[in-house]
Amino acid sequence: MTFRKYKDLILGSVMLVISGLYLYFAQQIKTRPKIIPSYSNARIFPTILGILLLAMSILLIIQGIRKAKSFDASKGDTGDQVSKEDYLVVVLTLGVILLYVLLMVPLGFNLSTMLYLFVQFMILAPKGKRKPIQFAVIAIAFSLVCFFVFRVGLSQMLPRGIIESLLGY
Amino acid sequence: MSTWQLIANGFAMVLTPVGLLLQVVGVAVGIVFGALPGLSATMAVALFLPVTYSMTPSNAMTLLMALFIGAISGGLISAILLRIPGTPSSVATTFDGHPMVKKGQAAKALGVGIVFSFLGTIFSTILLMFIAPEIARVAIAFGPAEFFSIAIFSLTMIATLSSGNMVKGIIAGLVGFMFSTVGTDTIEGTQRFTFGLTNLKGGFDMLGVMVGLFAVGEIIAAAETAHHKQQSEITVPNMKGIKGFGFTVKEFVGQRWNALRSALIGFGIGVFPGIGGGTSNMLAYTVAKTADKNPERFGTGCIDGLVAPETANNATIGGALVPLLTLGIPGDTTTAMLLGALTLHGLTPGPLLFQNQADVVYGIFAAMLICSFIMLAMEFYGLRVFVKMLAIPKYILLPCIFVLCALGAYQLKNNISQVLACLLFGLVGYGFKKFSIPSTPFILGFILGPLAEVNYRRGMMVTNGSFTPFLTSPISAVFLAIAVLVIVIYATKPLREKRKAAKGN
Repeated sequence: MTFRKYKDLILGSVMLVISGLYLYFAQQIKTRPKIIPSYSNARIFPTILGILLLAMSILLIIQGIRKAKSFDASKGDTGDQVSKEDYLVVVLTLGVILLYVLLMVPLGFNLSTMLYLFVQFMILAPKGKRKPIQFAVIAIAFSLVCFFVFRVGLSQMLPRGIIESLLGY
Repeated sequence: MSTWQLIANGFAMVLTPVGLLLQVVGVAVGIVFGALPGLSATMAVALFLPVTYSMTPSNAMTLLMALFIGAISGGLISAILLRIPGTPSSVATTFDGHPMVKKGQAAKALGVGIVFSFLGTIFSTILLMFIAPEIARVAIAFGPAEFFSIAIFSLTMIATLSSGNMVKGIIAGLVGFMFSTVGTDTIEGTQRFTFGLTNLKGGFDMLGVMVGLFAVGEIIAAAETAHHKQQSEITVPNMKGIKGFGFTVKEFVGQRWNALRSALIGFGIGVFPGIGGGTSNMLAYTVAKTADKNPERFGTGCIDGLVAPETANNATIGGALVPLLTLGIPGDTTTAMLLGALTLHGLTPGPLLFQNQADVVYGIFAAMLICSFIMLAMEFYGLRVFVKMLAIPKYILLPCIFVLCALGAYQLKNNISQVLACLLFGLVGYGFKKFSIPSTPFILGFILGPLAEVNYRRGMMVTNGSFTPFLTSPISAVFLAIAVLVIVIYATKPLREKRKAAKGN
């Protein structure tokens, strides 16, 4: 509820900070005044962009304050409400995705993909629909199909691990 | 070489066994992506880019065009049968398409949708074939001033038109532009925002950014609901025993003006950056309804209301390729992916493409025509298979798609840093969704930004720091003027509405 009320205000403030940081680092860009004149150096566009974002974030903050004042919780679409449990799924999903990406090189493409898919299916599937055996079969099959299409069919490189060595690639 | 010779060459190029196979596979996969809600044409092209890495440029573009055409058309299946548009391009298709199903005319609705999708694609491809080379001929004389102004014009259009909130649209465009400034500056050669990281020196890869924002972001967002949404039941219409395409010749002839008008609307909207298929189907529907003698028929399941959006959304494909191929300017996210694909295969879209790689260009045109026929046959005879695909649960589908994203990102540079970048942009995409920021301006800011910057700085160097040539070149001046006008109109809209309301009271 509070998030919806202050959405634009939060966004505007975040963008204000970003534009400030961006402008600061934009002034740190090294230029070569002897070769490139100041009106077309590497700093000019970042500076313009930073100033424009600064202006837009202030506009958004003003809009956000107005919106928060006239905010009516009963109005607007309530369809996009997300429960705590839903966020837990999002956080878990992000976690396994990150683990998958980090483990892809040490474990090899196939093992990491099979593990990722299985765990991700289990997290996303509704409670009554969790079928570990079916999920495992799909995870293994999908990973192997991808591997053969890309590695053998399209001769692309993929991270190697135990399964890849066993398969002889 | 004459135009006809070029066209014949184009056909010869894509009518190889491999070319045909790619088109059949591309259209089939495209239809699935279009039909499945949550997957889009952009995602289809993004996921299949890695598959094209080792192909010839012509085969690669053939496959991607097949995906594009299939995906835009495939949206009608779920729009008609489930009343859920498979892609934003088929929102208006649900209005009359689903009521027809309720009246027991499912087969007829699908037949009409499929045939007019086909006609829309063919019509717009033919227009494209004859208009694009002419524009390329004019554009060859464009200098930095013209390219700068066209880029700024496109950015303004996208930022203001693609969302309800202009401030948020502009913010998205600016942030996309900012990400494009990371890396080694192309003119001065100095480092910008690299913070000493070697991986950032080359800047962010366009494909990594797009796959992240559109595919990964979508998956993270879907995680919120995937675990409690139940799949809805679909009835498979019986297509057997239906004569022709399910509608009569008389009905077909009666739609000729509606179809032509909708095709022109679709094509025109495609040419202008920032509006795209999501709008063209709605606009064509509204125009058809307004122009009709009995507008109350619309929404109750009349074929007019189905012909308009389905012709228009496919006609947008041909239109959207005009600025992409002739100027190198993508008007929406799918053409942005195609721009990435062209660049990846060493082709630079723009006026010179028509001179230097005319074979590829005409190959694309030929592929579009052939794919339309493949789409027509496949959607009509293979409908049952596509409807079955709609039953695949999201919790199985989305993780598999993420694996494909990761694979594609990994293969960009054969290292994991690209996958991490892709993940980062996935988070950005999810954040955008949460704060209702449109992602299209972000992507186009990222792509068109450098075009605007480089041309501005080059132009200023040529003129020794004078901005006048940007205003005295007629083409450049017109585009800049429209850009300013659009901003003024949008910025003063609330003021004018207030005044109107005050008068009304």
